[in-house]
Amino acid sequence: MAVEDVKPTRSELLEIKKKIKLSEDGHKLLKKKRDGLILEFFDILNQAKDVRSELDDAYKDANNKIGIAKSVEGTITVNSTAFSLKDYPKIHLQSNNIMGVVVPKIESSSVRKPINQRGYGILGTSSYIDEATDAYETLVENIIQAAEMETTMKRLLAEIEKTKRRVNALEFKVIPELKEARDFIKLRLDEMEREGTFRLKKIKKS
Amino acid sequence: MELSVVGNGEFVTGFRLAGIRKIHEVSDENLESAVKEVIKDPEVGILVMHDDDFNKLPQNLRNKLNESVEPTVVTLGGTGQSSNLREKIKQSVGVDLWK
Repeated sequence: MAVEDVKPTRSELLEIKKKIKLSEDGHKLLKKKRDGLILEFFDILNQAKDVRSELDDAYKDANNKIGIAKSVEGTITVNSTAFSLKDYPKIHLQSNNIMGVVVPKIESSSVRKPINQRGYGILGTSSYIDEATDAYETLVENIIQAAEMETTMKRLLAEIEKTKRRVNALEFKVIPELKEARDFIKLRLDEMEREGTFRLKKIKKS
Repeated sequence: MELSVVGNGEFVTGFRLAGIRKIHEVSDENLESAVKEVIKDPEVGILVMHDDDFNKLPQNLRNKLNESVEPTVVTLGGTGQSSNLREKIKQSVGVDLWK
């Protein structure tokens, strides 16, 4: 709001005072929202670090186990066992709300399957393949958890950045410009009053 | 919705054992097109890739995947994922909280 565009009238002064009050109230609320989002983020971050660490361990374990299964049974046996699986893991996305931010809650089904329902004959395959399958099922569970955590974090971070920009815009641009306009109008109104008083005195003298 | 895995033969075999159907066994040449195909699939909720394969993608595709929520990308086998998030955290909050 350029000062030159402001009309120096009492009604304009009242309008600007209202806008300043509204902006200052909004600024306080947005600061609280920003701080609340950051606190929620801290909470999720700690959980995400644990989940990420478990995921990395699960991947290493699964990699080891499938390496062993391939060296004992052969790659072809492992691959053909993999192709015989019937059921596949499904995920369902639901929404959760953290401080007004919609975040996903991922529910999964058919990730862990009992050994006799996997689709391959349990007598024809060795325990190394069963262990590798178990390890990959655990890995998939961890992947789903990590996906939920990391998506939540990305959404919270985007909202924190947006809120931070609004807070800064209000604090460093909008409110100072409004106050400058208010001060300008007050100055002009005082000048006009002084001019009026001086004119009256002149008229009375004459 | 389902999970999808993109990578070389060695990476994807284990996920077949876990029952994942949408597996794209690709070489480096087909990697980018396979990833673009998976992103367009509305049935894919989570995309799993190896960290090395993720780093082979062009920068603009990597940025798009980092921002993507559906599907969410989870990378395994390196520190790439956590360093992307770490950068975002430093940018948004202003402090490196991932230590």
